[in-house]
Amino acid sequence: MSVSNPAASPALPANAGSGSRHSWGLWRRQVAAILRLEIRKSFLGKRAFGLYFLALMPVIILGLKAVVPGGVHDAADLSEAKMTFAITYQAFLLRLVIFFGCVEIFGNLIRREMLDRSLHYYFLAPVRREVLAAAKYLTGLIVSYSLFGASTLATFALAYGPHSGLELFFLHGPGFAHLMAYLAVTFLACLGYGAVFLTFGFFFKSPAIPAVVVFGWEAINFLLPPVLKKISIIYYLQALCPVHLSEGPFALLADATSPWLAVPGLFVVTAALLAISAWKVRRMEISYEED
Amino acid sequence: MSASPDDRRIVFADVSKFYGEVLGVNRVNLSIPPGITSLVGPNGSGKTTLMNLMVGLLRPTQGRIRVLGMSPERPEELFPHLGYSTQYDAFPRGLTGWQFIAGYLRVHGIGRDEAEALTSRALERVNLTEAAPRKVAGYSKGMRQRIKLAQAIAHQPSVLILDEPLNGLDPMARAEVIGLLTELAAGGLHILVSSHILHEVDRISDQVILLNGGYVVAEGHIEGVREEMESHPIQIAVRCSRPSLLASRVFEQDHVVEVKIDDDGGGLLVRTKDADRFYLLLNDVVVESGLTIESVAPNDADVQAVYQYLIEGNAGGRS
Repeated sequence: MSVSNPAASPALPANAGSGSRHSWGLWRRQVAAILRLEIRKSFLGKRAFGLYFLALMPVIILGLKAVVPGGVHDAADLSEAKMTFAITYQAFLLRLVIFFGCVEIFGNLIRREMLDRSLHYYFLAPVRREVLAAAKYLTGLIVSYSLFGASTLATFALAYGPHSGLELFFLHGPGFAHLMAYLAVTFLACLGYGAVFLTFGFFFKSPAIPAVVVFGWEAINFLLPPVLKKISIIYYLQALCPVHLSEGPFALLADATSPWLAVPGLFVVTAALLAISAWKVRRMEISYEED
Repeated sequence: MSASPDDRRIVFADVSKFYGEVLGVNRVNLSIPPGITSLVGPNGSGKTTLMNLMVGLLRPTQGRIRVLGMSPERPEELFPHLGYSTQYDAFPRGLTGWQFIAGYLRVHGIGRDEAEALTSRALERVNLTEAAPRKVAGYSKGMRQRIKLAQAIAHQPSVLILDEPLNGLDPMARAEVIGLLTELAAGGLHILVSSHILHEVDRISDQVILLNGGYVVAEGHIEGVREEMESHPIQIAVRCSRPSLLASRVFEQDHVVEVKIDDDGGGLLVRTKDADRFYLLLNDVVVESGLTIESVAPNDADVQAVYQYLIEGNAGGRS
């Protein structure tokens, strides 16, 4: 009885020889295939409804404010809209909605499949584990930014919508730049928190407990001395918001971080966390019985 | 450049796996040739651990594994050539049978048209074409077993590993799966099957690996395994009239280790080191005393008997 030559497996893609199995083209196709499977699951699964509700919460709040009589004090005062949105965004959307949304999305990218006992299907495919981790992260990023980017946009529209002079504000004032800045901050929040909770997903059976610890750390950021402030995500995100809010009388002041430092800093932290995730997934064993 | 002989085999070199302090498998040395190889052993004997080590779902605590010369630690090299149907009765949520096969073929990097053609062929081979548009979650146990098999063979691997593939299948489906495995093995595949349905394993295996308590108890061709048993007593069940008479005669023989009369008094079980001499003696007793024999059933006729002798009879021991 003869053994078939492994190199002659008929199902291999034409360019999947020994050299090209490490090619960007192959990785791109594999990432696209994983995204197709994962995004469908993320948007259509039962757990997605909780995320939809979370993303809608700031929209509902500002929607009610817009329609309730007296909710908008002075329709001609755009600074009121600016403050309303800044508070809603920084205190609620960024600190609660996006934070806990990322806990749910990224923290469960790997853990959920361990609990469902279906992660091995990916581990039994000829895909580098690092590519799998990157594809999973990308899935989380697409899902989270789709939801929370849309939430940011809708909340912004509801904050400014009831006010007059919008054309001037957007076309000749800072309106459009503010909107872009907030959308960018939302993206960076998904990027940074996503990397944190993806990494936690590899190290903790439940991401909830470490998430609460991180939430506490982020919540007391304004009380921390300048050196410790920098060991957080929220510090950099707030520095990038176009409207700066007072942190109260007990806040320890620190020099504002330049966007030229904050943005690359977030990317560096994200890259470092993804490298840890890649290392972890490469060494990961599947033994569902232990879970 | 000529290939090493190990490049054509699945090789375990002194492989051990411990889960903390719990033994998974210990000091396993195997060199598995092409054809159908069965892993046989009771629950917890290490069959699934051995299979999971082979595909890199687990990492050995010590030792080295090579599958056709490839390391399980490099999935990108191994899995174009290997398919594994696990024992886990779980599937990604929300997918139809078609999406399950085609979707994961695309993860291999295979283009859409080719993935669809391979999916269609795999579903056809396991007789699930009609059920393909339905959600896997709605499949029966037997259908789920077959869709897992389809997923494992869809990319036409050289090595196929199947953990309890006959579980949950009705007799017709079992026969079909066994036929498919035989057909695949005839095409030159390595097929490794674990099962506790021993008589079916016996029918399809070219070689067998017996596991117990994390140790390889015996390995080789079924005939070879039986040779390993020569030093062990063989059990023969005899249903006859006057079993106590037969018992008294056979117990005088030096090759007889044990004689046990059945509870119903209608037969006896003889453990002997020399079956041929026992059969000659039985003939003599029948002729001399007019004993009526209903049946004589040597229990070492198939893997089941080998299994009982080498595993159950020597619990925890290594031959």
